Order: sequence, then structure tokens, then C-alpha cells
Amino acid sequence: MSDLTVNLAGIKMKNPVMSASGTFGSGVEYASVFDVSKMGALVTKGLTKEPKAGNKSPRICETPAGLLNAVGLQNPGVEVFIRDYLPEMLEFGVPVIANIAGSTGDEFVYLAERLTQTGVAGLEVNISCPNVKTGGMALGTVPEVAAEVVKAVVQATDLPVIVKLTPNVTDIKELAQAVAAAGADAISLINTLVGMVIDVDKRKPFLGNCIGGLSGPAIRPVGVRAVWEVSQLVDLPVIGMGGITTGRDALEYIMAGASAVAVGSAFFYDPLAAVKIIDELDQYCTDHGVEKLQDLVGAAWKEK
Amino acid sequence: MKGPEEFSCRVIEQDALAPDYYLLKLEAPELARNSSPGQFAMLRCSEGYDPFLRRPLAIHQVDRNKGQVLFLYQVRGKGTKWLSMRCQHDKLSLLGPLGRGFSFSAAGGRAMIVGAGVGVAPLLFLASELRAQGWDLVILMGARNKSGILRPDAFRECGDLIIATEDGSCGEQGTILDLLSRELAKSSFDKLFACGPLSVLKGVQTMSREKGIAAELSLDERMACGVGACVGCVCQGHDGSYLRVCKEGPVFSAEEVVLGE
Ligand SMILES: Cc1cc2nc3c(=O)[nH]c(=O)nc-3n(C[C@H](O)[C@H](O)[C@H](O)COP(=O)(O)OP(=O)(O)OC[C@H]3O[C@@H](n4cnc5c(N)ncnc54)[C@H](O)[C@@H]3O)c2cc1C
Ligand SMILES: Cc1cc2nc3c(=O)[nH]c(=O)nc-3n(C[C@H](O)[C@H](O)[C@H](O)COP(=O)(O)O)c2cc1C
Ligand code: FES
Repeated sequence: MSDLTVNLAGIKMKNPVMSASGTFGSGVEYASVFDVSKMGALVTKGLTKEPKAGNKSPRICETPAGLLNAVGLQNPGVEVFIRDYLPEMLEFGVPVIANIAGSTGDEFVYLAERLTQTGVAGLEVNISCPNVKTGGMALGTVPEVAAEVVKAVVQATDLPVIVKLTPNVTDIKELAQAVAAAGADAISLINTLVGMVIDVDKRKPFLGNCIGGLSGPAIRPVGVRAVWEVSQLVDLPVIGMGGITTGRDALEYIMAGASAVAVGSAFFYDPLAAVKIIDELDQYCTDHGVEKLQDLVGAAWKEK
Repeated sequence: MKGPEEFSCRVIEQDALAPDYYLLKLEAPELARNSSPGQFAMLRCSEGYDPFLRRPLAIHQVDRNKGQVLFLYQVRGKGTKWLSMRCQHDKLSLLGPLGRGFSFSAAGGRAMIVGAGVGVAPLLFLASELRAQGWDLVILMGARNKSGILRPDAFRECGDLIIATEDGSCGEQGTILDLLSRELAKSSFDKLFACGPLSVLKGVQTMSREKGIAAELSLDERMACGVGACVGCVCQGHDGSYLRVCKEGPVFSAEEVVLGE
């Protein structure tokens, strides 16, 4: 067994493989399918202050090597989450990271304060959701606005603050620099790409919400590029995600500069994807004489 | 109840029942043992990422002694087409059993089962379990034409079978809802169970309300995870909230849900 451990901005993980927000429920859904405690960390669905009903059906549309989703942040609200869902998530004995999705700066501050001292190991600030009318991506496309939200969250909590960025911008590097300057402890890349499918029989948009977020293998090169550029520019650990389905996919992200990776849509294709990826990372290290997986982070950077 | 698991199952045999309708028999002892009527499985229908998502199929029948599970499906698109080309000894990846199935009292009673088209898929398992528990069954099967009437002989073993086709090529000519309203007028039932297109489920829902008979409906929605994790497969609850078809369903009581367009 090679050393797969990672200390991500103070969050200690036994391996770098996390669940991607919104794709893994609270983990209990998969508890009978595989040993969830093998994961490096678990990330919650996007949480809001009040319960959120989400978008109307259909919320999912398959696309070539991926899918569009427009769930619209359906969640029970932070109070019910803390009372009913967090305890069972913590039972797995791995770090739990709360994905927070305020629609205003104040809501983000409220969520950050409320989740501090509850047992969660960190916050992932979701300023990149394409499926809500207010907040979400709207707060994550203008560097000054994003920086303001991040600054406020950092002040409201002593938990590590991870900022999740959207690729739906002209220059993701500019955003990354802005949130880094605002005090972020780590950056997650990438959230989904905005997309759309038309039902040609009905002559109307397929999704209830018309537009949705594209995920899965189809977007992997976009994510790898974002990680490669941002990780070389900003001195913060990066969590890479977008289309990771195999160990080699995860290695691409790691070599592009990601200290950790998240698995999302791959669970739909193969519920055992995450455990297989962990095994494949270990195998790669053994086969290539790599003692510490973290030594591979950024192996494909320009100056190397 | 045991939670879902991931299995790699060997194909025992696969038969075309009619053009585009297939009966798939898998070696799946644990799934056979742990499934109950109305539950389903998510089957991977590709070697690569096309299609990327698994396809939900209802557990059609189980043979617990032989450790076998059967699926009955219609070829609709890419995924089911790929599935229809699997042969004996091929292996299939499958996650199950999933969802909440039908509920019925062990005390028995008189039930009406309504299956339209390939909607009969989950109903054979139901009918045989009901039968085993001493229920009296009237089974209504409807389809556009004769080739859509699936496994009538197997259903006939579980109760009185009445068939209707829209073109009259098998059984009576008419729709399944015509049959249903006629049969409900004739005699009384303790419970209705239905699966089929939305229009049929809506009709059953309305008639169950008018007659004051409890009904359970098996819904169809596009799914990604199948285990309740992604909140992608919702239908509308009567209180306006969204319910996950893969977790709170796919079987719902008729009062629980508002059926859309
Ligand atoms: C819980 C559950 C149990 C099911 N059990 C069975 C079963 O036992 N037997 C069976 O034949 N089918 C069943 N279905 C439906 C089956 O899953 C779909 O027909 C299948 O996913 C189609 O996949 P495909 O790749 O062949 O078609 P696609 O290429 O995905 O689609 C082909 C056509 O079918 C339509 N379609 C696809 N999926 C759905 C859907 N979920 N609802 C409505 N229209 C759809 C598309 O709009 C398109 O026109 C079930 C569905 C659910 C949710
Ligand atoms: C069904 C679904 C729901 C998602 N919900 C959230 C969410 O609540 N918050 C968030 O930050 N990202 C959410 N995402 C984005 C994922 O966390 C991830 O960034 C993206 O899907 C790319 O990774 P993947 O290709 O491995 O799925 C969601 C993705 C999917 C497919
Ligand atoms: S398909 Fe994911 S919640 Fe139902």
C-alpha cells in the first residue's frame, strides 16, 4: 500500500478521493453498495438556509458521455440537515465537507456560522450552481463579487473554506486569484458546464428548467485544463473534478495540479467507481515506484 | 429489508417474445432472494460511456430456488437495444434491488391488477406473491395490438385475466380504462395495482378516488443514480413537495402523488 494520504488545507484524508457535491446523497444511500468509510472525504448536497423544493421534472437528461442536470438545489435546509442527515454522515468516520449555496452574501455567512462547530471538517462555497435564479453562479462570475462572498465566509468561520468555481466564465484564472486573495483555503474545480437539449418531437426544451449543468466524462478535458491553469497560478490546494471515472482520469487531474479529486457522475455509471479509483491509484503508485501519491501533484506543469 | 448491492450477473437466456419485446433471464441468487414486487434494478447498457446512464428495469419475476431473476422489456432506444443483443453467458452489471415496491396485507382480499403495454413488467411478480398470500385477482391487460400482450399465460396462472387491445386483435376491442370502469361497476375490490403510461395511471387514480378503493401506482421517471442520492427523478407529492421516484417510489399510493402532463 502506497501513501495516498493528503492534508488538504488542514482536512486530513486517508486518500484524495472525495464525493462530488449533489451526487452522493448523504452517503447512506450507498452504504450497502460499498464501504463508504474507504472514501477520502464526503461532500454534502448544496445547502441553503431554508428548505428548497428544487426544479420541476424532468431534471435529468442524458447526453453523449454525460448528463445534464437541473435539480435546482433541492435540499431540506441547513437545520434539518444538521439534525437528520449530518449525524449519519459523520458515522462513516471520514471528513464531511458541507457544500453551502446561499443566494446572498448574508445567507452564506449564516450558513457558515451555523455549520461551524457541528462536526463538519470544512465548507465548500458553491458560487457556481447553474440551476438557480439567484445566487449560485451569479455570485461566481464576477471576481469582485466572488471575493466579497469569500471574505465574509472566511470571517464567519474557523473551518477551512474551499471555494467551488464555475467554468462558465471568460477567465477562470482571474476568479481563482480573486478568491485566493480573499482568503480561500482551497479551490474546487469544476462545477458543471451550462448546456441545453431540445426535444425535437415536442419542439421544446427537454429539461423542466430548460437549461442545466453538464457533467460526466464529456467535460473531463475542460476540468483538467482549469486545474492545470489555476494550480500553477494560485498557491492553494485544488480539488479537481469533472468526468473522473477511472484511476487514470484521477491521475490526469492530479498531474494537472489537483491535490484531491472528487467523483460525481461516475457513481451513476458504476456505483463502485470511487473504490475502484482508490485501488487504481494505489496500483499505479506501486507499479511506478511512487512512494507518496502527493509527489505526483502538478507532475504535468509547464516548468517540470 | 436489505439495501441494494452491485452485481455482475450471467445471462442464462434471452428470448424475443414479440418484435421489440424481450424476456431476459439472469443468474442472480441474492437479487432473487432480496427483491420484493415493484422493486427494480439499474442495468448498465453499454461497454463504454454510450449510453452513460444505467437503465431502470422492474423485477419481472424471480425464481428463488434456482436463483434467477427475469426482466421483461421493450426496446425503446440505445440502451434497451444494446441489452437485447446480450446472449447466454454474457455478464451484466446491475444495481439492485431498488426502491419501494407494492404493499399489501398478508390477510388477503380481492385485488384488481391493471397493466398497460410493457407496464405489465412489475406486475407478474406482484400477482404471484398476492396469489401465494391467498388474494383473489382480476388482471386487466391492455395494449395497442396482439404483439403488445405480454406473457398472458403466466398471468392467467395467478387469476382471472381479461385482455383488451385497441385494434381488437387480441381479447376485447377497447382501451384498458374502458375495461377497468366496466369491471369496477360489476363487482367490488379491496385494492387496485397499476403500471403503464401516465394516461392509464391517471385514469386509475381518478377511478380509485371515485370508488373509494385504495390504489397503488408504479411510476416511470428518468433516473441517474437509482438510489436516492442525486434527487434527479422526482414526481410531485400531493402537498407540493417533490418525491424521489427511485426511493420513495417507484410505487406510490394514488393519494400520495399528483400526476403531471
Ligand atoms: C422504475 C422503472 C422501472 C422500469 N421498468 C421497465 C421494465 O420493466 N420494462 C421496460 O421495458 N421498461 C421499463 N422502464 C422504462 C425503461 O427504463 C426505459 O424504457 C429505458 O430506460 C429506455 O432506455 P433506452 O436507452 O432504450 O431508450 P432511450 O434512448 O433513453 O429513449 C428512447 C425513447 O424512450 C423515451 N424514454 C426513455 N426513458 C424513458 C422514461 N424513463 N420514461 C418515459 N420515456 C422514456 C425517450 O424519450 C425516447 O423517446 C422502467 C422505468 C422505470 C423508471
Ligand atoms: C445531479 C447533480 C447534482 C449536483 N449538485 C451539486 C450541488 O448541489 N452543489 C455543487 O457544488 N455541485 C453540484 N453538482 C456538480 C458536481 O459536484 C460536480 O462539480 C460536477 O458534476 C462535475 O463532476 P462529475 O463530472 O464527476 O459529475 C451536481 C452534479 C450533478 C450531476
Ligand atoms: S435517480 Fe437519483 S435520486 Fe432518483
